[in-house]
Amino acid sequence: MTAARSVEQRGEHHQLLKAAMPFQVVSSETIQKIADAARLVSFNPGTMIYRRGERADDVFVIVRGRVEHTLGPGGSETNLVRLLQPGEVFGWAALLKTQRIRLADSLALEETQCLAIDGRALLRILGSDESGDVVMSRFATMIKRDFHAPDWMADLRPIPHEVRARQLSGLSLTMFRISAWLRSPRPYLMFVGFALFIGFWHLASEVWKLPRFSELPGPVAVIQEWTSKNPVYGISIYTSDYYLDIGVSIRRVAIGFSLATALGIPLGLFLGWSRTFRDYVFPVFELLRPIPILAWVPLAIVMFSGLETPVIFLTFLASFYATALNTMLGVESIDETYFRAAYCLGAGRWKVFRHVVVPGALPFIFTGLQISMGVAWFSLVAAEMVSGRYGLGYLIMNSYTTVRYPTIIIGMITLGVVGYATSALVRIVGDYLMQWRVRELSLGGTS
Amino acid sequence: MSLAWGKVTGESRNGAVEKGAIRIDDVVKVYDPDGAAVLAVDHCTLEIQPGEICMIVGPSGCGKTTLLNAIAGFHSLTSGAIYLDDEMLCGPGKPTANPGPDRVVVFQNGALFPWKTILDNVSFGPVMQGRLDRKAANEKARQMMSDAGLSGTEDNYPGELSSGVRRRVEIVRALMNDPKVLLLDEPYRALDSLTKSVMHEALLEIYYKNRVTIFFITHDLEEAIFLGHRVVIMTTRPCKPKKILDVDIPHPRDYSVLTAPRFRELMEETIEAVHEEARKAFEAGEREG
Amino acid sequence: MIRAARGPTLRRGIVSIAVFLVLWEIGSNSKAWLGFTIPLVGAIPAPSDVVVVWASLLHDGGYWQSCFLSVLRVLAGFFAAMIIGIPFGLALAINRTAYATWFPTFEVLRPIPPLAWVPASIIFWPTQELSITFVTFLGAFFTIVLNVIGGARSIDVRYFQAARSMGSSSFDIFRRIILPGVLPSIAVGAAVGMGITWNVVVAAEMISGGASQATGAGGGLGFFIWNSYVGGSYPQIVVGMISIGIAGYLSSELLRKLGQRITPWLRTH
Repeated sequence: MTAARSVEQRGEHHQLLKAAMPFQVVSSETIQKIADAARLVSFNPGTMIYRRGERADDVFVIVRGRVEHTLGPGGSETNLVRLLQPGEVFGWAALLKTQRIRLADSLALEETQCLAIDGRALLRILGSDESGDVVMSRFATMIKRDFHAPDWMADLRPIPHEVRARQLSGLSLTMFRISAWLRSPRPYLMFVGFALFIGFWHLASEVWKLPRFSELPGPVAVIQEWTSKNPVYGISIYTSDYYLDIGVSIRRVAIGFSLATALGIPLGLFLGWSRTFRDYVFPVFELLRPIPILAWVPLAIVMFSGLETPVIFLTFLASFYATALNTMLGVESIDETYFRAAYCLGAGRWKVFRHVVVPGALPFIFTGLQISMGVAWFSLVAAEMVSGRYGLGYLIMNSYTTVRYPTIIIGMITLGVVGYATSALVRIVGDYLMQWRVRELSLGGTS
Repeated sequence: MSLAWGKVTGESRNGAVEKGAIRIDDVVKVYDPDGAAVLAVDHCTLEIQPGEICMIVGPSGCGKTTLLNAIAGFHSLTSGAIYLDDEMLCGPGKPTANPGPDRVVVFQNGALFPWKTILDNVSFGPVMQGRLDRKAANEKARQMMSDAGLSGTEDNYPGELSSGVRRRVEIVRALMNDPKVLLLDEPYRALDSLTKSVMHEALLEIYYKNRVTIFFITHDLEEAIFLGHRVVIMTTRPCKPKKILDVDIPHPRDYSVLTAPRFRELMEETIEAVHEEARKAFEAGEREG
Repeated sequence: MIRAARGPTLRRGIVSIAVFLVLWEIGSNSKAWLGFTIPLVGAIPAPSDVVVVWASLLHDGGYWQSCFLSVLRVLAGFFAAMIIGIPFGLALAINRTAYATWFPTFEVLRPIPPLAWVPASIIFWPTQELSITFVTFLGAFFTIVLNVIGGARSIDVRYFQAARSMGSSSFDIFRRIILPGVLPSIAVGAAVGMGITWNVVVAAEMISGGASQATGAGGGLGFFIWNSYVGGSYPQIVVGMISIGIAGYLSSELLRKLGQRITPWLRTH
């Protein structure tokens, strides 16, 4: 009953499918996939293609011939019988959600050829086309309108969920990106860059001993010191002092940053949200902002007692400005249309604040938080260098004054790593909270 | 004024349609950007029947969006009044209407909240108004989405779907509130013509089930005649109804209407007027540049 | 910042600043006026004292010299950052190989706070001035490069396609599409970089100015502030802070105006 198809036949079938009502909106690629998945079947005149009650697997598209389609009890009273011509689609019971049995008798009135497509395969193919859901909608329309079937009969299966919106889970997307990255020349060039940089440093300071460079500790010295159990200058990954310094710095940043976030975000939100509030508060804010954070050092020492508090204050201040400003910009960046839509839909002012302002400003808020984290480290190091006890900034400064040069580099590198890690942490939290943005960006944005 | 209803299939809302009559009464809107008074709407008077699909056609920048915004409550009126079912929305003493769920807007570039899932978006209205609790709202949302052929998208975010699907979701979101009027501001402007034709049929399907008054702004005359009971052609800025066309093609309509002779006749009647205004707008734009 | 504000906004702004000053004055004099010291504010010198000290400083040559020195350092470091940073950023943006090779190294060095480089810088560079300038340079360099790369990437790819279809050479494309397309981002990067530069200069002056007075170098407003603290003249601290604030603000505004001038097409009517 099935026959192999020649090239011309394939072309003809492609055209036929393209012209069939439900498939008119899909891409040529998808039509091709459907055509490839279809089987060409022939029926002699007078043969029943299928009967009511039989299992429904295939959807049929008539290539040649005529089919008499009799919808069983349950259809409307008039027009029980339909005469189907080439190009028409029948057998759609294969796509129904609830029952996959034939609801009609189909009789081939003359020599008939059809393309038979397995219902499940069709759904899968449609799932990969972006107009897939439109096709299903058109099927439903066709069923109700052309076949005069009642609403319940056009209850079609949904397209397979996991393929439909090309949803890629975070993990699989990451794996995909990593494998793509590894296959490109990028990682190798990256290592070349590192090698050149460190190589030059090494050669200049330790091998060729170029002027000026010879004073600097070279990478070999630094690494030796860093990894030695008995470091010459007292700091390595095996000494507890190292971790003490790291811990102290992190603690200070954590406190400063958290306070800045807790105060900065609400302030920023209100500054963006309420014209009145902004008019009163922003001028003072802007007045103090140009003063470099580090110019506050002496005043901070005067204001706060002890050695810890001024340092934390400076960290806080820098972070606070960055967070508040970016939050405010975030609120301002929200398209006015969203506000209008929310008001239309009956939301009151506070509901709008909670459901539009806060989530709408989140992308900017998190960019601000990353900047704020960077600025916090910046201020912390400066504050520690000027007046601190313990901490990485202090370590670096102290190493300099006590002529322990390799430790300076150790301190710098540690700062870089810890600074990067904390920023990355903020970014990860942001990505987690803004799933919608991650997904949108991973799809390259949609129209 | 009779409307050419024709035979109606599908269920209609309690038979006769009673609410959603809009009366625009001698409305004038003057913008005052930096002191240069700009007349946007010039003594516009229009009456829209309950349940009518009223299409507003005009060149870009003519002020038709201003009218829509005034009805919705986003802009104020300089003079005149607008009534909804004999209740004054805005007018003397109250220049700006309160935005509300009885007149929901579907925006040109879409306004589904990107940070909410489709389901949360659709059930937003009733939940915010406190009319339904979240569970009931979600159920109603699923039902309405299924009616509109949108099942399966509930857990996606708007950014993952195509614009055609997003537009349809937005219309469902609007209808969840049982509005009297649906205000559509060139909603299909950015879609390609294939998707547009599908959107039109989808909109009509929804309309046949719900019978809301539809106030639809477009610059596409074909779209206007295909969908509307009446087509109001506006002059270029300041806008004012120039010509009103009664589209006597019976509902329900499908895409075959587009090639019907009557459709062509109606196009011929109106295209001259539309083209004239378009040319005026183009030249006005040139001089201001 | 000081843009022409409409009626109520301007009024409210003036009111809030006035209130701020009044509260500050009261708080600083709390011990004398209220009998108890309000924490924090109580220790800060009062605005009235600050103004008085400032008035006398305006005649002091040393004050102006400090201002001048700081501004000089800022400009030196900043321009070095622009001169090196812009070409570097453009090179990375245009050439994929260069980007893949050097950007990771750049990103690894970026989180290290500029001030952490101070000791290494002092060891390396022969003079104090150069070491401060180097650290200043670093501060702005990273920001500017990042902005240049971001700006180049955001140029709509259709401009390139249009240019190629009209037969432009690569150099033409660089000159007429990339450069103008990147200018706005450079302007932004410059403004932000300027802010960072001031921070770094002040800190560097505080740190190294205090550490090596003997060489006669140092000075600048950062050192001025630190010295005021050490010397116990607190109102001078505030004078120094405000002076830097003004200088910083003026330089940022200057940059912004310059940026607007070289990108006239961004102005909307």
